Amino acid sequence: MVLFFALPMAMTVVFSVFERTMFWMEPGFTLFAYENFFFSARLTNFLNSMKYSLISVVICFVFGFPIAVFIRKSLPQVAQHRVVLLFILPFMVSEIIRVFALRPVLQRNGLINSTLMDLGIIDEPITALIYTHTGVVIGEVLSFLPFIVFSGFLAMEAVPKYIFEVCEDFGVGPWRRFVDVILPLAAPGIFAGSVFIFVNGLGVALLPNILGGAGAVNAGLIATQAITALDFPLAMAVSAIMMATLMTLLWIGHRLFDLTKILSPLG
Amino acid sequence: MNDYANIWLHRLKWTYLLLVVLTLMTPVIYVMYISFNANGFGANEYVFTMEWYGLIFSDELLIGALRWTLMLAVVVTVVTVPMALLAAKYYKAADNKLFPVFLLLAPLFVPPDILGSALLVFFKNLNFAFIWFGDQMRTSLFDSWFRLSFLTATIGLIIYTIPYSFVVILITMGRYRPEQTEAARACGANGWRAFWDIEFPQIRAGVFSACSFTVILVFNEYTRTSLLKGGFDTFTTVLISQMLNTGMSEQSYAMSALVSFIAIAVIGSIILATMLRAETLSRVARAKAEPVMS
Repeated sequence: MVLFFALPMAMTVVFSVFERTMFWMEPGFTLFAYENFFFSARLTNFLNSMKYSLISVVICFVFGFPIAVFIRKSLPQVAQHRVVLLFILPFMVSEIIRVFALRPVLQRNGLINSTLMDLGIIDEPITALIYTHTGVVIGEVLSFLPFIVFSGFLAMEAVPKYIFEVCEDFGVGPWRRFVDVILPLAAPGIFAGSVFIFVNGLGVALLPNILGGAGAVNAGLIATQAITALDFPLAMAVSAIMMATLMTLLWIGHRLFDLTKILSPLG
Repeated sequence: MNDYANIWLHRLKWTYLLLVVLTLMTPVIYVMYISFNANGFGANEYVFTMEWYGLIFSDELLIGALRWTLMLAVVVTVVTVPMALLAAKYYKAADNKLFPVFLLLAPLFVPPDILGSALLVFFKNLNFAFIWFGDQMRTSLFDSWFRLSFLTATIGLIIYTIPYSFVVILITMGRYRPEQTEAARACGANGWRAFWDIEFPQIRAGVFSACSFTVILVFNEYTRTSLLKGGFDTFTTVLISQMLNTGMSEQSYAMSALVSFIAIAVIGSIILATMLRAETLSRVARAKAEPVMS
């Protein structure tokens, strides 16, 4: 893991300052790749993809976390892992197939539009569902929502069942219970799940490539396009920026919540 | 008020949960539905056919790719699962868990395109370094060690699958009590026998689940494999290149549906096996707990 994961990721910083040649790169020191990133439309696209990734995180949390709470709080111990396995099911089908499969669902004459038109809810197909930022957000939510359920499920291990009873005895309402009790205790897992969704929203090229329109470009797509254009230092600069973003987020998360607690329920 | 006090609230929550799972599965189910239509996507008339599935198996390119994919899946599984098992054992015993947690789970957080690009450039540079070293030693022995090939794709996939296997094995290990190993050692068993005869039977389900997960993940992986594979094709890379070049043809729908059917069948079997095993164990436990009437 050190040799083939940590080292290659650390080396992206070194390779990003190499000189670009016609088909490859050569050792040297230049910040041209970073200039190329920060002083072009790429930065705007990167910041835009950050905004849409954050929206995806919020949507995934709103729809996914209550499921994790329900599984932990209301289901018998023996049934909990089996119900979580249900969320692994869609995740086990290739992401690329799932994303491609969204096209016939979201497009003009796709499943959603034809169903809504058959029901008489709309007269004209909704065109904003695909080849727009909305399409990318839909793709991100459907691809990554299971992760907030998994991490939320692990996080809820830190919230003993009797806490719900104590809250009930004191007449604490669901909102106060959620904000004052569940959220602080389950914070490490929620944070890890959110970082996962945020970083993958920034880095999975497939989603803007297949579901996004002209303006939908994220860091992963910039890196892939740079490799296709044989601009390896730029690809490495994008990778280094992504790694720096990830490390900063994980460091902040660890300082605030001690992220090793995520796996503590497992031993 | 708890859920059981209000059964309708409980049922409502179950309905919501199943609705979310169904929504997540909708694209896949819809693809399966289209794959059996003789007239393809968007047609007004639905005519059931298996024709598109027949076409897949007559495609030489696809069968070759399938062979490579299976080989890759076997090699990655054989390496990944024992490594994940050792990592889980090390993690359980470690006092400082921060480093193993970071190293083993970090690949989960790195997007596929970023990890794939970083490994691609790393391997290309490593290959140049090995060739240079070979030139200095006046030998061609080191020439193609890290040229993009089956080996580099395997390494990339091992890095990708280890966190999943690690977590799955760790979940089953959570139920194992280490005092049993200590007892076995106290009775004179060596380390291997204590593991093989006492611990492994209890974590076997997790190890086999990790194997299944690894095979499915390798089978489904596209980005890292396509960046690191070199000259051969896998099932998914063929499928995706066909989709990207000619769009979603009826054959593409059938191929996607086939991959999904296999993955769902494997996971479905695991869920079923887990349920049956839990049922058997609880029946045995109940039988043991019953008082003996004499």
